[in-house]
Amino acid sequence: MVPMVEPLVHMRGISKAYPGVVALEDVSFALARGEVRALLGKNGAGKSTLVKILAGVERPDEGTILIDGKAVALRAPMDGIRAGIATVHQELSVVPELSIAENVFLGRWPTRGRRVDWRRMQREAHDALALLGLHLDPRQPVARLSVAERQLIEIARALSQGARLLILDEPTSSLVAQEAETLIRVVRQLAEQGTSIIYISHRMDEIRKVAHSVTIMRDGRHIATAPVADVSNREIVDMLLGSAQGEGGSTRIFGQPGKFTPLLTISDLRVAPRIENASLEIRAGEVLGIAGVLGSGRTELLQAIAGLRAAHGGSMTLAGRDFRPTSLREARANGIFMTPEDRRGEGAVMMLGIDENLVMASWGSVSRGGVIDRAAMRRKVTASIRSLGIKLAHPGEALGNLSGGNQQKVVIGKALNAAPRILLLDEPTRGVDIGAKRQIYQLMRDAAADGLAVVFVSGEIEEFCEVCDRVLILRGGCITGEVEGSAIRTETLADLTTGEHGVH
Amino acid sequence: MAPIQSESYQKFDLRHFLSGRANEIGLLVAILVLYAFLAAFASNFMTLPNQLNILRDAAFVGIIAWGMTLVLISGEIDISVGPHVAFAGVLLASLAQSGVPLAVAALIVIVLGALIGCFTGVLRAFLDVPSFIVTLALWLGLRGTAQVMSDAVPIVIMDFSFQRLGAGWFLGIPTPAVIMLILFAIFSFVATRTVFGRSVYAVGGNAEAARLSAIPVARVRILVFAITGALAALTGILMASRLGSGNSGAASGLEFDIIAAVVVGGTSLFGGRGTMLGTLLGVVFIAALVNGLVLMGVDPFAQGIVRGVVILVAVMVNIISIKRMRGRT
Ligand SMILES: Nc1ncnc2c1ncn2[C@@H]1O[C@H](COP(=O)(O)OP(=O)(O)OP(=O)(O)O)[C@@H](O)[C@H]1O
Ligand SMILES: [Mg+2]
Repeated sequence: MVPMVEPLVHMRGISKAYPGVVALEDVSFALARGEVRALLGKNGAGKSTLVKILAGVERPDEGTILIDGKAVALRAPMDGIRAGIATVHQELSVVPELSIAENVFLGRWPTRGRRVDWRRMQREAHDALALLGLHLDPRQPVARLSVAERQLIEIARALSQGARLLILDEPTSSLVAQEAETLIRVVRQLAEQGTSIIYISHRMDEIRKVAHSVTIMRDGRHIATAPVADVSNREIVDMLLGSAQGEGGSTRIFGQPGKFTPLLTISDLRVAPRIENASLEIRAGEVLGIAGVLGSGRTELLQAIAGLRAAHGGSMTLAGRDFRPTSLREARANGIFMTPEDRRGEGAVMMLGIDENLVMASWGSVSRGGVIDRAAMRRKVTASIRSLGIKLAHPGEALGNLSGGNQQKVVIGKALNAAPRILLLDEPTRGVDIGAKRQIYQLMRDAAADGLAVVFVSGEIEEFCEVCDRVLILRGGCITGEVEGSAIRTETLADLTTGEHGVH
Repeated sequence: MAPIQSESYQKFDLRHFLSGRANEIGLLVAILVLYAFLAAFASNFMTLPNQLNILRDAAFVGIIAWGMTLVLISGEIDISVGPHVAFAGVLLASLAQSGVPLAVAALIVIVLGALIGCFTGVLRAFLDVPSFIVTLALWLGLRGTAQVMSDAVPIVIMDFSFQRLGAGWFLGIPTPAVIMLILFAIFSFVATRTVFGRSVYAVGGNAEAARLSAIPVARVRILVFAITGALAALTGILMASRLGSGNSGAASGLEFDIIAAVVVGGTSLFGGRGTMLGTLLGVVFIAALVNGLVLMGVDPFAQGIVRGVVILVAVMVNIISIKRMRGRT
């Protein structure tokens, strides 16, 4: 167990309010050297706010922070870094135009004399990434990388700071199982070497693997802190949600296979460079999962269907007619809508109101002759907020003020409001808490029950079991497997995606 | 207080109301301070004729400023409007000189103005040429064209009833100011209540997200420039009417007064944020400041310095007050 000597960090009586929302209320938090603490809570519980205060990004309204027993004032991110605190924030903050190496050393570029020492930087960046199992040329620009790869680069950046305290705010939100495993191994190693770690995640299975202890927050308050071994998953979920609505049985409800009708048939689709030859069928009334490892081309497949990426071969047939979308608009006109995996960069306009984001893709339905019908917009927004269970102070407030999970719900709400026939969801539950995840699953099921074809990509295999009628395995650029109904199980899918049992 | 789960718009939330209007409230205070100062130190500043004068001057900044606000919100900039005004005036005068009826000439000038704006928008939207560069080229080209067309000599417009447009009165208010206020009402409506208006904010806030939401990003970009071009042409017509001639040297530096008014009004130069009401207050602020400095008999060169400093301070106060009210650090 962890030796409980003087804590490395001690936050006392921290409070923080934003207009209309109390993000933190009298929260105290202490962490020992070499301790890995999982910080848990629903979306909007105040986890990110707490670690932002520790990183010097936000300032508390009240409370003190002690490091090594001495009170410190963390006024800016630089103060946090100087105090030996490295942070991977929930929202990605890489500079796409710069190279991988420059991003890993952002603001701390190694120099020789006055000049940037490119060779050393590239070598060290390469090593830092290799530690995380990522083998990329550090000279290429980050713009070409996927969200998961960007996330790993941010983690490498924090790791390379040699910090005493490492804060990881949902580091695995867009990683698939193996990358998450690698990260967890690295985190454990660092802890053994004496680094303290705060680990925020909504993935229960990770918590047990990585953390010594858990802190649970709810509505801006500290609820409990305990060694992981002393609490069961059920107890944790109950504390998170604030009532005895824990795990229960699986809530899985299937559609009726007899009612599925083929809507889009894809044959021999080729999308350079990742997809070689994919053939699949998308059916109305069904939730279809697409599983695959990082870089298997899941996003590219969705993008080709949504008209965002040109296909280099093969054909698609939509409701009996040849379909070859050359633009997003064309796909949209045919009832296809996709939500992107990068919420901040592509999914939503953070400066605009929650209400406007919700109707952004369906202005036609809440306006007449280009003039917005405010009553209709209110009705639609109110209905969306209720059905999605979005936690907010006012529908008109900027989307950027919401917690990550709530932002994600808005992005999905926008897609649903666009009333598509085929709904493509790329990592829709990224960074979403357990309660909200269930709501999103339910939304997907409801959409399917209404006759939509829902296509769902996720890096978390467990999710497919909760919601999908059918799962396709994308591997090596081809669809290599298909699992249906009650045969959808975590172990089966894990084996199929990594090819462990050689099923072809 | 626990976080609120509010689903109703009906419930009035004072803090939300105030934090949404921090910018306008701050500006109103700044204008009051400026007015108090000028009332005390500039003789004749607070008289009715002078206030009406300010309103007339404001129109020549304000009309274009409505379009410029949309341009800046969409994340672009148009610095060609000053020369565009001069060009429009010269074109109108020379069309009139060659016998084209003024009403027809005015229509031609406005349509051409919109097309010039389209040109900027098309280069920006389809070829990714930065709007600053395109409008810089237009800034040079339009003034040059006006000078070539008129040999740099004012072309007199021989229709005295036409002068009532720019120099006349309507219900005791300067006609250009009436036009400005009508356009203000229209543009406020466009910005807040129409799909196009909200799309401008979306494009400026996050163009990629707007594109993925099937908002016609290119069309929005072209339209904001076309609108601003048409407004510059309209201002050129009013200016020619006020001066009684088309003058290639008119409106020099006007683009900077306009951009200053819009930015003082709280519109972000980086796009995504801004309001018409803020711009209206910014226009009033700039017009009153210019007028007051003249009345105080400040040396014309020193006026530039004072204007620069006051604009900088106004923008800074504005940004700081917005941050305060949003409760961020
Ligand atoms: N800049 C801000 N302005 C206004 N409100 C904010 C701001 N940042 C956070 N909040 C609010 O503070 C509360 C706590 O947010 P926080 O981001 O800390 O939650 P979280 O626990 O990290 O959630 P998630 O799991 O979704 O990331 C939320 O209600 C959120 O809406
Ligand atoms: Mg968070």
